[in-house]
Amino acid sequence: MSLIILILLVAILGFGILTYNRLISQIEAVRNNSKQIDIQLDRRFKVFESLINVVKKYMDYEQTTLKDVVALRSQAVAAHASGNESARIEAENKISAIAGGLNLVFEQYPDLKANQNCMQLQEEIVSTENKLAFAKQSYNDSIEIYNANKKSFPANVVVSAFKQKLDVDFPYWQLSEAKVAEQESYTVKL
Amino acid sequence: MSNQLNDYSAGSVNWRNTLQQNSRRTFVVIAVFFAIYIALGLLVDTYIASGMYPKAPLESIFYALVTFQIFPLATTVMVIVAGISLWVTYTFSDQLMLLGTDYHEITAENASTPAEKQLYNVVEEMRIAAGLQYMPKVYIINADYMNAFASGYSEKSAMMAITRGLMEKLDRDELQAVMAHELSHIRHLDIKLTLTASLLANLTLMVLDMFFYTAMYSNRSNDSKSRNNLALIIILLRYLLPLINIVLLLYLSRSRELMADAGCVELTRNNEPLARALIKISSDYSQNSDAYTDAHKETPHENVRREAYIFDPTQAGIKYMGSVNDLFSTHPSLEKRLEALGYKRKD
Repeated sequence: MSLIILILLVAILGFGILTYNRLISQIEAVRNNSKQIDIQLDRRFKVFESLINVVKKYMDYEQTTLKDVVALRSQAVAAHASGNESARIEAENKISAIAGGLNLVFEQYPDLKANQNCMQLQEEIVSTENKLAFAKQSYNDSIEIYNANKKSFPANVVVSAFKQKLDVDFPYWQLSEAKVAEQESYTVKL
Repeated sequence: MSNQLNDYSAGSVNWRNTLQQNSRRTFVVIAVFFAIYIALGLLVDTYIASGMYPKAPLESIFYALVTFQIFPLATTVMVIVAGISLWVTYTFSDQLMLLGTDYHEITAENASTPAEKQLYNVVEEMRIAAGLQYMPKVYIINADYMNAFASGYSEKSAMMAITRGLMEKLDRDELQAVMAHELSHIRHLDIKLTLTASLLANLTLMVLDMFFYTAMYSNRSNDSKSRNNLALIIILLRYLLPLINIVLLLYLSRSRELMADAGCVELTRNNEPLARALIKISSDYSQNSDAYTDAHKETPHENVRREAYIFDPTQAGIKYMGSVNDLFSTHPSLEKRLEALGYKRKD
């Protein structure tokens, strides 16, 4: 008889310890996931900063190159019209030199390279925004798991015994009511 | 068979429910495997003991064994053997999955083309959604057919691989869905589970085989009546157990696929891209069935990957295993998977 009681006590104690540890690790998971949102916000800031810089430099480069090419081209046309062949060849050669600095694809399909860069930028922006959204989702998911566990029976008995340590109130990540209403009525204006 | 998403009526999916339901199924299957293994051990012990106590009826020998009045030596040895083999398999299996394929690894630094960069991004996004602490290795297999698989369960062994064909033919959302499915396999520890189940199944058959020949070719003339009864059970088991094993393994692998599909919806909160991707992969296999059959046949060791693939090629009529395995799919049918995702075929 006393053996049965002993086994029962050990089982209850074991359950208590397991539940305690599980709740603790769930709380830490929520905390970590909330920091993950910060990490992704930080990442987004840095990525977009560097993207903007790259775009600016690239645009400058494209613009000056294009200006040079246009200028040389009109020189060549003017030289051709006036019959000055050596000046024309010189201008054409300069264009070739500029083109040689760019890669072959750019030379053959002028809008392709700009386009591909644009696509890469797009991909980087989409991915960055996705990462942030998924970090928020993951944070909410971990809160769901923790809350469901905390409030279910018999885990709630263990929680009420260690309220200080085990009962943490994490708010779900969400938009304010006003923001929701604003986003709800948002439509794309083209 | 024409297959487009338009042929299906869209609905929603209760992924929490699907996950729960299938993890219950898994628990039952694994418990049955262990039970069969232990029962077989006890059967061997009963056989040995009945030689030592020829007069005792089987029931009392069995009772004596489970209450440890006679030490169940064979069962104990079998449990130890299973433990060691499982440990060895867990330790060395992670290098197995890419066997025979032509592959290269993608990292954040070496992703050269936009498609590779996108693939890496997509995996990283799913890792964040899953709250996974580590980034699985990402491999591209140089093949035209569309397929993907995942393996491993820890930082060291977790990996996902997709074929170049899949990477090129799916759009971003579909790619994300496929990678979410694969990541779910890693999260759900499916590789460990499948390894455990198939190892136990194989061990059971090995023990049974040894037991069968020992029982058949031992000196029968002075056998007791109870021993003869046992021999009958053994013969029956020898033909029944392989079938039971196959059914259980297929059931397990199908449940895990449905779970990974539900896990994909859990991570992406969207059931449509996976449905689209599955239909795309399936019709691609049907359209290029000849070329892909050759491609699969020419790749050695396809059998190690078959259960892990997102789509079982045999479902598109590709007979590359060259055995009875082609008859039974390790995956639920496309219709079943789509239905579980909330897409019912319109009449």
